[in-house]
Amino acid sequence: MQAPEEIRPGRVSTGIQVLDDRLGGGFPRSSTLLLFSDKPTEKRLFAETFAVQGAKSGETTLYVDFYRLPSLARNDLLRFGNFPKDRLVLVDAISSQLMVESPEKYRIEDVSSLSSIAETVITAIEELRPSRLVIDSMEFLADRFPQDDVLREWKRIIEAAKGVGCVTCFLFINWTYHERELQVIQAMSDFLVEFRSSMRGGIIRNSMRITEMGSGGLKTNWIPYTFKDLIGVTVYFPRILVTGPFNAGKSTVVRSLAERAISIDRLGTTVAFDYGNVSLSGIEAEIFGTPGQERFEFIFKIFAREVSGVLLVVDATRPEDFERAKYMLELIGERIPYVVLANKSDLPGALPVDQVAHKMDLPEGSPVMPTVATENKGLREALLILAEMIIGVR
Amino acid sequence: MPEDARPRLQAVLQELRRIPDILAVAIARRDGLLIAHALPKSMDPKRIAAMAASIVGTSEMAAEEMGQGGFLQSIVDSVNSKMLATGAGEEAILVTMVRTDANMGLVLISVEKAIQTIATILEETSGEAKEVAT
Amino acid sequence: MTDVWQELQEAIEELSHVSDIKAAAVVRRDGLVITHTLPDGVDPKIVAAMTAAIVGTSEMATLQLAQGRFTRAIIESDEGKLLSTGAGEEALLVTLVYSDANLGLVLMAMEKTAKRVEEILALEVVS
Repeated sequence: MQAPEEIRPGRVSTGIQVLDDRLGGGFPRSSTLLLFSDKPTEKRLFAETFAVQGAKSGETTLYVDFYRLPSLARNDLLRFGNFPKDRLVLVDAISSQLMVESPEKYRIEDVSSLSSIAETVITAIEELRPSRLVIDSMEFLADRFPQDDVLREWKRIIEAAKGVGCVTCFLFINWTYHERELQVIQAMSDFLVEFRSSMRGGIIRNSMRITEMGSGGLKTNWIPYTFKDLIGVTVYFPRILVTGPFNAGKSTVVRSLAERAISIDRLGTTVAFDYGNVSLSGIEAEIFGTPGQERFEFIFKIFAREVSGVLLVVDATRPEDFERAKYMLELIGERIPYVVLANKSDLPGALPVDQVAHKMDLPEGSPVMPTVATENKGLREALLILAEMIIGVR
Repeated sequence: MPEDARPRLQAVLQELRRIPDILAVAIARRDGLLIAHALPKSMDPKRIAAMAASIVGTSEMAAEEMGQGGFLQSIVDSVNSKMLATGAGEEAILVTMVRTDANMGLVLISVEKAIQTIATILEETSGEAKEVAT
Repeated sequence: MTDVWQELQEAIEELSHVSDIKAAAVVRRDGLVITHTLPDGVDPKIVAAMTAAIVGTSEMATLQLAQGRFTRAIIESDEGKLLSTGAGEEALLVTLVYSDANLGLVLMAMEKTAKRVEEILALEVVS
């Protein structure tokens, strides 16, 4: 189990380490998150991951769910892994509608009264002093009550949450609101977390983007994610290509990074590809190694598609191959983030990274990591740097 | 490769080309390098060697991953022809292009014979190479 | 969008029920799994990558041969065969069949399913 959040007093972890790193440790206490998408499903997963993460960390999460009985919600949340059950407090909005008894401490007796709803939630906030609050969802209220009233109560809930240092997470769909109201809502929020889904060639890709409201704030790229059993939302890179000249160590990189990898190689050279699946720091990545020999360049035509990022592996003792390395990068495409791995950096004659960068004539600021793939040195770091580049931050 | 092997391998290929249904043949190393060929000028033998090696290597891995036992051969069908690729010993593969409506029985027997011969030639020559080295 | 996946899944399951066919999969041409009926113990991602490599490479080899377009790839092993064919611009259809399978019937069934897969994918809308 992770350390309680007191140890990081200013921030609240998302549960996805690489996102936390981008956020300086997580979302700041007392901040308000607006979870926003055209379809309901995606953002709920994020909210649930966020809620469970709090409980896993030993802090209290308050979860207001207008759609599920608490017992059902708790059951659904098992998918996100183990957590102390008393840390997740659910506000029961359903039992009263079904006219059954509720075992929950906080229950909304009358869902047709907006003030009753708000009072119950605010009371729970003040009594529990949770570090996280999830409200699923605002459109439940928007569907039933006048917009001005909803906005007013929304503001009150935010104030109460800020008062106890709680991070509030509102789930929201925009189709009932006009531009002006949307601006008001966004103005009440510190972070906008948007979700979208697209299908290409039969495969659905879910991605999210985090924007800090206000000028000059943080803004990520669209980050692809997936759901992993017992963990929750995980950043997901469907394809990281590991490429580079012959004998640079690409297959070794794939085999060292992945727990289980396959390599199709003959007589010392890759004739098709390497493949492995890597999980670390809240990321899951499918990594593909390409062959290095020129005669197998046709493989790029097959696999160099929907490439999230590239690990460009060069032999640091062979600057004569750097030109070829750059050419292979071109085969994959421009503007795809890459990290150069100056591999075999333990060997005599291995160039230091600044010289590698210089000889490769890389653009200013291009990351070059010294690695020893055979000893799994520097590989995870390189992958994390690549992940941060893909996630992006302004 | 010892010079002796090449004419012998070429002879195997010419033997195969005698069969009317067999349009073209090539021997490649399993790492995709060309060893010998009897392909028409319109085909790039080096490319075919590399692609065939890639297909065979991947097919062998596929057979293993899916628990299908040992790999036998790959067949790539196009409208007018088939391309067969199969192992010829540890180091090589034989690639055979045949007409679509070929008498496959005859083709396969000839291919089977050829890969045995090729495997033997390559074993012998690598054996010789080792002797020369010592 | 989930309808597309649902329909593909149905098409594949139907195909898997044809006698002689052990399992089937729809794979994106760049090696990603779309849907499958592969047994547990077989990693669908690996199968997808391998079949994409085989078909993609075969198609390029076919161009070299200049004997007409690629129609299918058949990988024969001791204990079964792996058949793959195109299913439109984006996808491939793959089946695992028994060694002694009646290939004629299997290929006919695959052709039908491949057409269906192509139609289903042509309907998808990017949201």
